[in-house]
Amino acid sequence: MSLSPENPHSADPEVETSHAEEFVEQLRQVTDTLPSRINVDAHSVEQGLAKLVLTLIEFIRRLLEKQAVRRMEGGDLSPEQIEELGLALMRLEAKLQELKMQFGLADEDLNLDLGPVGRLI
Amino acid sequence: MKLYAYCVSEDGGKPVDKELVTGVGGSSVRWLKADELIVAVSDVDGDTIAITRENVLAHERVVRKVLEYTTPLPFRFGTLVTEARLQSYLQAQQAALQSKLLLVDGCVEMGVKIIWQAHSTNKESLSEEVSANSRVGEQLIEGAGSAFLMAKRQEVMGEKILADRAKEIASWLNERITASIRKDHTSVRPDEKLVLTAAHLVERSRLEQYRRTLKQACSERPELHFLTSGPWPPYSFVNVELEFKTQFGVS
Repeated sequence: MSLSPENPHSADPEVETSHAEEFVEQLRQVTDTLPSRINVDAHSVEQGLAKLVLTLIEFIRRLLEKQAVRRMEGGDLSPEQIEELGLALMRLEAKLQELKMQFGLADEDLNLDLGPVGRLI
Repeated sequence: MKLYAYCVSEDGGKPVDKELVTGVGGSSVRWLKADELIVAVSDVDGDTIAITRENVLAHERVVRKVLEYTTPLPFRFGTLVTEARLQSYLQAQQAALQSKLLLVDGCVEMGVKIIWQAHSTNKESLSEEVSANSRVGEQLIEGAGSAFLMAKRQEVMGEKILADRAKEIASWLNERITASIRKDHTSVRPDEKLVLTAAHLVERSRLEQYRRTLKQACSERPELHFLTSGPWPPYSFVNVELEFKTQFGVS
């Protein structure tokens, strides 16, 4: 289609919903997660690095949990092995919780927005 | 002096009346020609553009004005470049840009967002549903590790049920509107309240049909909350990759 100023189409966007407040709240949550400024001081750099590392550990931890559940579902683990694996994963979760507290991070902080791909966790 | 780039389109003849729109920082907008392509640009002093509501709206206003006449490929907000570099980019990327223009030719982007309540309210009942049908735990040792893994199993199965339900919503929506759209980008997030975000590339001639179909579809699922929007420039379908730095880095 070529430029044709004699024959314009209306391009005014319309937004329709019966639940405006709910959507505004959701969109605010998205914008709230975007940093308006990046503070480069010693503490924030350390916390940022901890956040990144702990996010990756959390991601791997969840993968391990899912793999353990799959193996349990598949019936290839004995009751003793399930107990042992469960204890190991429980301790790992507790340790990660401890590290999060040390760096002042909440559960929702441990995630990465990968844009169109979605979130890591 | 640099150029602030808004969007690129094919040079089909008479340009849009530039007096009708004001660009970023109150600047005027002009067309820069490069072979068969034209780019809407403003002349800007300095190396950055302030990220303000006014400037973001000005960028959108210019692109939307062009959208009234043709479907452009919008640049990202904040794209600043020298004229020589922009010309070089347009010449080097002409074929790719024309191919992208062909993809969106005669189309606009329409948006659909869906909110559901299942992400939080149903998790417990989902877990209970899984537990009730489960025989996995019958021969387990009564220890903390086994209990932990059983709880995780319920969680994982609950997530899977949610993911399947979210996927069903995406399939249902796609099935309803597939005849009215050229292309779609759908993002599904079962863990979140905003479970689905879709961008639909719709031919202008089918816009009314699309709207009618979507309205009908929305009425079929009263348990879901819909937000529909558009027409927008096809931001979701054309990622104009510029090999030069904007103030945000390499766009």
